[in-house]
Amino acid sequence: MNQADVSKLVSKLRIKVKAEHRNLRNPKGPEGRIDKLRKTVTGLIKFERIEVNYNRGDEARQYAERLISEAIRHGDCHTPTMKMADFWLLEKELVHKLFKVLVPRFENSNVSFTKMYKAPKPQYSRNLEKAVLELRGNPYPDLFTKQPNNRLWIQNVLLEAAKHDYRQSKYAEIAQNMAKNEEPTQVNSEAPKSEIIEDIKTQ
Amino acid sequence: MIFLEFRALSTLPERVEEPPQEEPKEVPQRRGPKSTNPILEHRHIYPEFLPDPNPKWRNSLREKMERADMLKRRQQIDIPEFYVGSILAVTIADPHAQGKTNKFVGICIERKGCGLRAEFTLRNVVDHQGLEVRYDLYDPTIDKIQVLRLEKRLDDKLFYLRDALPEYSTFPLDMDPEILPEGTPVPVNPLKVKLKPKPWLERWERQELKGIANIEQYLTTTNRLNRKLRQTPWEKFDLMKQYRKTIPMEEQSDIWSEVNNQLQQLQMARKKMARKRTFTAPKTQLG
Repeated sequence: MNQADVSKLVSKLRIKVKAEHRNLRNPKGPEGRIDKLRKTVTGLIKFERIEVNYNRGDEARQYAERLISEAIRHGDCHTPTMKMADFWLLEKELVHKLFKVLVPRFENSNVSFTKMYKAPKPQYSRNLEKAVLELRGNPYPDLFTKQPNNRLWIQNVLLEAAKHDYRQSKYAEIAQNMAKNEEPTQVNSEAPKSEIIEDIKTQ
Repeated sequence: MIFLEFRALSTLPERVEEPPQEEPKEVPQRRGPKSTNPILEHRHIYPEFLPDPNPKWRNSLREKMERADMLKRRQQIDIPEFYVGSILAVTIADPHAQGKTNKFVGICIERKGCGLRAEFTLRNVVDHQGLEVRYDLYDPTIDKIQVLRLEKRLDDKLFYLRDALPEYSTFPLDMDPEILPEGTPVPVNPLKVKLKPKPWLERWERQELKGIANIEQYLTTTNRLNRKLRQTPWEKFDLMKQYRKTIPMEEQSDIWSEVNNQLQQLQMARKKMARKRTFTAPKTQLG
């Protein structure tokens, strides 16, 4: 039974947070874990889209979200926040980017500041989940196209072709059936004509 | 009135249209901390109203019912504002003697737990014997909780008083309450205690305590080396560790807006009682 720490106020994160942190395995222990995450957070703020192992990406994502939300909440005239940014961003020009670019970008947003996707992994390898971690509003093209019904997608082209084939085969079948149905009626009325048709078929 | 506006054939020169004045651009305000909700300040006085930050032990329905129960209990007895370092007197029904009560005076060395399980520990030295009593804040057998001296200390937990000289945790059992003038912030007592020589109950030197004066004189070089090796300077930058220890602002404001009304009513009632108390005749002092 713990009492909540009331000395600091934090904004709620808009991403799912696990109950416990992940120990990213490394020889230096907790300090090494933070060092790893610092590198990833710096990379994320710098490149805005990175590919990482899933566990490390998910941990770094939480730290990046917290850093941006602190920057939004306190602004750049708050010494503890500045120290925090200085600690987490290994390249110091990124501190300017955080306060001058990312804070205005995310100030009025109601959704999370980052996005994470599961990425494909090599088929024969250690079973490490890969993920793509990106900041929202980055300058790169979307990983997922917003139009789900793009005609030029390879899946849609193949589906169209399959539909076309299926339709053609159906038409042929119907035509055949019609021809067969005509036979008995014509046999009753005009016998010679049906013979001619049969002749054509056999030819 | 209508004609005044249509002066099509008027010989009066029309007023030259002034170029539209450039509206003063909104200067982007210096981004300071966003204006915080004043009801969030309740968190210092009533920390037990906030749920446990560990999501494994969260249950929104139970938390809500506990809050209602706590408010009900607070309507029965006056649970005052106090902090670790304040000196309290607690009167509790004696379980072994019907209709009689026990009173204990001491310094609050710890507050913990949330909801109805909130508890605090009082420490005193009586007849050269250190005593600690742990009370549940919402225990129905508690008769009265009185704050004799409202103050904070330099640390959040005062367990080091167990290894300090007894004079730092000795308080007379017939202490009179000290009344702070209304509206003053809670004073922080900058008292630094002196520890007894080793052996100690804990390795105080590793805990970065501000309220100990003479710890260096008892440390060996090995102690100092180990302290240095065990330091975790990165922990104050661990944003998620802080996040996992607290309740986020949005959740807090929901909770406080739920209980704010009743808490304020209780505060008003307490103020009324305090005003009444000031008009009572002073005690005749004998001797």
